Order: sequence, then C-alpha cells, then structure tokens
Amino acid sequence: MRQLLREPLVRFIVAAGLVLAVLGLFGDRQTSDDLTIEVTLADMQRLASLYASEAGVAPSPDEVRAIVIDHVRQIALAREARHLGLDQGDIVVERRLAQKMSFMVSDLVEIEAPREAELREWYDSHKEKFQRPAAFTFEHVFFADRDDARIEDALLSLNSGAADDWRRMGDPFILQRQYGDLPPREIVRLFGSGFADAITNIDANAVWTGPIASAYGAHMVRLIARRDAALPEFDAIRSAVEADWRSATTRLQNEQAIGEIIAKYKVEIEGVSP
Amino acid sequence: MKRYTATCAFALLALAACGAGDTPGTLPESDQDAPEATESTAVQPPAYNADRNAYFGDLHIHTQASFDAYIFNVRKTADDAYRFAKGETVRHPSGFDMTIAGGPLDFYAVTDHAEYLGILPAMNTEGHPLNGLQRSQDMFSVDREKITAAFQTVGSSVRTGERIDEMYDQDLMDSVWAENIAAAESHNQPGVFTTFSAYEYTAVSVGSADGEQTFAGGNLHRNVFFRGAAPSRAFSTLDSPNPEDLWDWMDEQRDAGFEALAIPHNSNVSNGQMFKRETYDGDPLSVEYADQRMRNEPLVEITQVKGTSETHPDLSPNDEWADFELYDRLLGGYTISATNGGFVREAYRNGLSLLEAQGFDPFRFGLVAASDSHTVAGAYAEDDYWSKVGIVDGLPVFRGSIPFGNATDWDNQPDNSTTRNASEWFSRWSASGLTGVWAEENTRDAIYDAFRRKETFATTGPRMKVRFFGSLSFSPDLLNDPDLVSKAYASGVPMGSDLIGDGSAPVFLVWAQRDPNAAALQRAQVVKVTAAGETVYDVACHIGKPDPVTHRCADNRSGVDMQTCAPTGDGAGELKTLWSDPNFSADTYATYYVRVLENPTCRWSTWEALRNGTPPRPDRATTIQERAYTSPIWYSPSQ
Repeated sequence: MRQLLREPLVRFIVAAGLVLAVLGLFGDRQTSDDLTIEVTLADMQRLASLYASEAGVAPSPDEVRAIVIDHVRQIALAREARHLGLDQGDIVVERRLAQKMSFMVSDLVEIEAPREAELREWYDSHKEKFQRPAAFTFEHVFFADRDDARIEDALLSLNSGAADDWRRMGDPFILQRQYGDLPPREIVRLFGSGFADAITNIDANAVWTGPIASAYGAHMVRLIARRDAALPEFDAIRSAVEADWRSATTRLQNEQAIGEIIAKYKVEIEGVSP
Repeated sequence: MKRYTATCAFALLALAACGAGDTPGTLPESDQDAPEATESTAVQPPAYNADRNAYFGDLHIHTQASFDAYIFNVRKTADDAYRFAKGETVRHPSGFDMTIAGGPLDFYAVTDHAEYLGILPAMNTEGHPLNGLQRSQDMFSVDREKITAAFQTVGSSVRTGERIDEMYDQDLMDSVWAENIAAAESHNQPGVFTTFSAYEYTAVSVGSADGEQTFAGGNLHRNVFFRGAAPSRAFSTLDSPNPEDLWDWMDEQRDAGFEALAIPHNSNVSNGQMFKRETYDGDPLSVEYADQRMRNEPLVEITQVKGTSETHPDLSPNDEWADFELYDRLLGGYTISATNGGFVREAYRNGLSLLEAQGFDPFRFGLVAASDSHTVAGAYAEDDYWSKVGIVDGLPVFRGSIPFGNATDWDNQPDNSTTRNASEWFSRWSASGLTGVWAEENTRDAIYDAFRRKETFATTGPRMKVRFFGSLSFSPDLLNDPDLVSKAYASGVPMGSDLIGDGSAPVFLVWAQRDPNAAALQRAQVVKVTAAGETVYDVACHIGKPDPVTHRCADNRSGVDMQTCAPTGDGAGELKTLWSDPNFSADTYATYYVRVLENPTCRWSTWEALRNGTPPRPDRATTIQERAYTSPIWYSPSQ
C-alpha cells in the first residue's frame, strides 16, 4: 500500500477524491454539458507538472488537492464571467476572468445588521476568540550573572523582611522591575518562554521565589496577582463581537457566493466516482 | 497561485497577466487581547513607564492599493496588514500563509504609494470607467509587450511627475487614502497597538550612474507620517517629484494642524542622491535647507528588505562588519547605484564637515528600520522568509536560494529571466527590519514624540533592546546603581540628542539586551564619526574586555552548525558598559552611535537551501550577524 501511495497518479486520485468531498459542500451539482466541469487525469498531470516545474518539487497530496480545487473554482468563475459576456477565450484570460468575477462577487455582497440572537450565537460559538488571556502582576530582582554569590542570600533576606528595598537589590534591569497584568504572550516576548513557563507555576502569594532563569540571567520573582484566562460577559464586549461577526460574515458570504457559482456545475474528475 | 508564477515571471514589471483570484483559506483566528481596565493592583501597569519601554514596529508596508503591489498580485488591504501585525494569519499571493515571527508588533504603519493610489485595482475592475481605457486593457491583457509598455508608462509618470491625465482620478485616490486612514484609526488601540496615517512619496532620480537615461532610477522615496489627524489629500510626485516641495507641503500641513514627519529609505540605491551635498536642483546647501530638512526628516530608514544603508566597504575600509547585506541595484534594473552620497555614516561625516565649514548640518537624523513589504506582511525572521514583492519572489526558486529546475547543485544553472532576477535582485535581499523606540507607553503620541526626539533604534529583524546615553557627569558607579535608567536620563542625554561639551570628556552608557527569542549577543560597538574620519570601537564583549590597542573583542568562537543551522557556543544575554572615547578631543564635533552584533546565525537563503536538501547558494553569505543600530548622540564643543 505504501508503494502504491507513492505512485503519482494514485496520489492525484486520492487527493482528487477529497476535492469532490470539499466541493460537495457547496450543494447539488447540475448535469447539462455547459454545467459540467471535467477534470481529467491528463489535466491533473499537467497541473502537477506545471507546479513541479515551477516549485522544483512534485506537489504533495495536499498540494494536489489545493491545485485541483483552485482549478475547478477558476473554471467555474471564468465560465460565469463568460455568461456575462466577458469572454475572450485564452488560459490567461480565463484566470483574469475568474479574478474579476471574484472581485465582482465581493462587491455584490451586502451585510445586513445582525440580530441580537445572531450575535449571541456567534459569541457562544467563538468563545476562544473572545477569551481574555491570563495576566500576571509581578515584581522581580535581576542578577545578570546566574552564579552571582548574592543570589543565595537574596531569597532569605527578601522574605524575612531584612531587605530594605527590593528595588535596590540585584543588578539594574534594562526594562521594568514590576509588571502589571502581563499576558503570557508578552512575558514570552520580554523574558523568553522558559521564564514565562516558570512564572505560570508559582503561587500568587506575594512570597519571593527563585531564582528563575531567563535569557538574560536569574530573577527572584514575587507574583502579586494572577488573573486566569476568562471569557468576558457578552454585554461587555458586544461591539467587539459585532465587528468580528461582520468581518467573518463578509468573508463567508463572499465564499458562499462563489460556492453558489461553483454549485451550478457538475464536477467530474477522471478516476473518481462521484 | 504558485503554479502560475514562473510562466508569467518573464519580467518583473510585466506581470499583469499573472493574476489569479485569492484562494480563501480558513478564517483567520482573531488575536483577542482585548484591553481591559486593570483592576486595583499594587504595581503600576506596563502602560506607563517614566524610564521608557522599548516598543517594536514596522513603519513601511504596502497593500493592494500600491500600483506595484497590485501588479504583483497582492490583493490584501490595510485592514489585513494591521491584522497581520497583531498576530493573525494572512495569505501570500503565492498561496501560503504568513504569520508574524516573534509575536505581534507594538506599532505598524501602512505606507502605500500615493501616486495612483488605488487606481490600478479600479483599472482592472469590470464596469469601472477606468477599465475602459486602452491603457487598462493593455495593462491587464495577455500580451506581455503591451503589459510592459503600459506599466512602464505608470512607472515613468511616477518618476517624472508628469501625470497621465486619463488615469489620474484625484477623487478616487482621495477616497482610497481615506480608507487607509480609516483602517489605521480602527486598528489603533492606545496602550496595546499603535498605527499611523501614513503614505509613501515615491520620488526617483532620473538617469543612471553612467548618465544614461534608463528606466532604472535612484531611490528618493520617503514615507510620510502624521502624528494624529491627516489631511484629505496626500502630496505625491505627481504634484512635484522634488522632495523639497514635499517639505514645503509638510510645513503647510503643520501650520494647518497636521503635524507630520517623513522618513527616507533605501539611500543605498539612491544613486548617491539621498545625501548629496547640494539641493535637488544642484544648488549649494544652505542653513534654510538644513533647517527645513531636519524639521521634516528627523529619521532615516537604515535597513530593510532591499539591503542596509549604514556604510560600504569602500567608505569604511577599516570596519570589518561594513560588508553586510549590501544591495546596490537601482530600482527596476540591474544598474549599479553610485556609492558616495548613499550611506548614513558618510552622511553623518559630511554633515559635520558642513557644520564646521558653514555652520549647519542637514544630516543630523536618527535611525529606524522597516521591511517595505508589498504583501502587507513583513518577513523579519531568517527561518521564515517570503521576501517582499508578491508572486515574483514568493517562492525559494524565484529568489535563488535553491537551484532552478529542481537541480541538486549550482553547476550549469540556466541563464533565464528567473535566474537573472534572482541573481541580480532577490537573492541579495534581506529578512529585515524593525524599528525600536523608547517611549513611556504604547500610544500614538508617545511613539511619535519618540520619533521627534530621535530616541529610536533600528534592528535587522530581532527585537534586541539597546539603551545609549551620553553625559559629562555620569558617576563611575552608575552601572550598578539601582536607579541606573532614571539617573542616566537625569544626568545625561539619550540617543538622538545633542551633548554640548564643557571641556571635559563625555562618558557613554551602552546597554544592550538580547532578544530572548533570537540569538545571543556577541559584542557592542560605538561608531565614532568626525569630519576627518571614523572609528569603530568594540566597547563590550561576550567574553572579556576589548583589547585597549586594537579596540576589538576576542573571538567568542560562537557559530552555526551548517547541517542544522543550530547555534554553537554561547553569547551574552546583556552587554553593559560605561565607555569613554580614548581619542576624545574637546574641540571637535563628533557623532557617536551604537552598533550591537548578535552571534552568527543562518541567513534566510541557507535555511531555504537546508530545507530543500541542496547546498546554499555559493555567491551569497551563508551566515549573517543580525544587528541593531541606535540613533546617534552628537557631541558639540562648548560654544
């Protein structure tokens, strides 16, 4: 079977089978001649070798699938453009026609104002987008040299109250000694991922812990507050939800409009039964 | 549509026929990092820091509204550009996804070419009046000669400033400008993400190095940024190709309440025109010229995809690091750009000469960096690179990092337009760069004010942070003072400032911190420029101290495993020192700036060769040392 899968033609057909599955999402296919898009093995080989000659490598099954989907999409849009009388009849023109049609579709889509229920549903089904990230409020004392002899005493003196002022301990830090409500992504950007991982594992009890290594040296850290990731109430972020809904809906409706055009055609791919 | 690109890539400027619709992917994930009012906490939030934070951004991005981006199949908008900068994924015209390396940026500016802004999309839209023009039919036809000819008329018009009346639709351009402003406004989130209303003024000097009139021209481009509100119309080369007229216009806008500054870029390919010591028309410089230039152009872009503009081995023969990611082809051709007049360090030197001889310095600018990506998305990482134009350089084979025609080595490569363009242009380009600013908070006002103060630094992509102060009164134990930064501000001046002498020798604080997500640091240097010459001093080393005679660090023997691109050896997380100029003269004007070098890493072309299983291109560097450049501190003798 492994050997079989390495055969280029088999790979095309396997990939092309997935194409039909994808295009099938667009709905019923028509049957008349003008509304049939045929993709032959020869077509697929031509597309694949064109790809190979340009990219320098043979397309993977995923790439074949993408190539064939694009091919079908392009023919469908080009034919639609011809129905509108934009016809010139050349492979390059075909691409341009498809492109123009795609722009026209974008212009034609108009989004109406969402209903409240629609927005709430969007919020409910896309919670991960509206999640407020965790945030960490902490202070740190920096030692540029991880073997600094002061490190050993630092923890004791910080937690026993013997230290006069933690801000004057250790080495100067080029950025800030205290950060409020910093999301993990920012901690990674500022201190590196090792430090970020470590800080998520300490208790927010205002006790100094460490040393924690960063890309720069060692740090004693006191986590003042930790806010877990949370989903804000719908009402608090309604306008953000609407903006997100609107932008996604515009993109989706463009795709649907193009999908409806493709759905007018029956797609036949040689070697794959519908 | 990567499979169409090569067949169409017959000439860089003739790609109109290579169009193919965008393949929509999955909807990009929102990068939700909504600012929330911080609840009561004991410490001050990172929003404001009197000692200033380092923020990173790209000030030079094009979208489909730029005439050249559109012809290279870019179909993404300003909205897509800002989404990319905030961490979302955007599709490249060659069909792959682009996601920003190193996490979201703090600021980003779309700078579309003002000339024929948004006109080409209209010319290519069925039903639009401009679509009916013969020029439109030619430009978007299938006849490569017609396409080339039609597109070159546009390039020529941008260069000469002579409008093509039939396609010059001021209302349309103004409306697209308004759309770009609206996109900037809608993405600007004080405290989280900053945008600017901005555009590119696309001036090009006419003629080539040998005096011949060619399509190739010297780059005199500037990006124009507004501090807040922007006027309803953008001044372009179609108003005047003379940058001094742009400054006049900016002065007028400032008087009308639209504060603005301009940032020139690619002086390296200006054919020696960007920093020449005469006016655009060839008249002698004057104090008025210097004042107006500095009022309008306090900053210069020193590195971007099209190479570095710091210096050149011919200008700096004693700088071992001068030969770095140089690019020298004039726009739109293979002609070599003149060296003199094209580089920042030489301009600093000439500025001091003018200051000593005539009392003014028109080249007292700070430093920034950007990508100049035309795909709405900057490629800053060597290991995740997509160059900048669009379909012509979207794949490794087009930019010559892997052999043409699926070959396994570099012997017997064919000579065709793809290999020539790769050799002359794309293989020489760089995964660069970013601007760092020191600002109290991430807001338009704070970041723009940092531009005005020139408290900026430039990097070739990594986000290393560099502080640089000069003082006549730093105490020797400042380095370990817990209040180091606030005392440095209190008793010294930061990068971008003048330091007026009192007869005593200044002391400089040089402090660099690595990007925790990139390579470690190798050395920090101070570049000293005077009217008489220049010297590069290593001032802080990963290991040991610089040799007092040679002013060089010992080799830290860090490198790269060429089989994997993994780093070998260590580097510094921080470099920090107080430095005094061993050759200081209290009576001599001197410009000091800092250059920080990372350990070597694989160049983008090496990464692509490694992934392809072929040897790296033999005529390009296999490794580079990413670096940062700070704005200078200008020492002046006491008056």
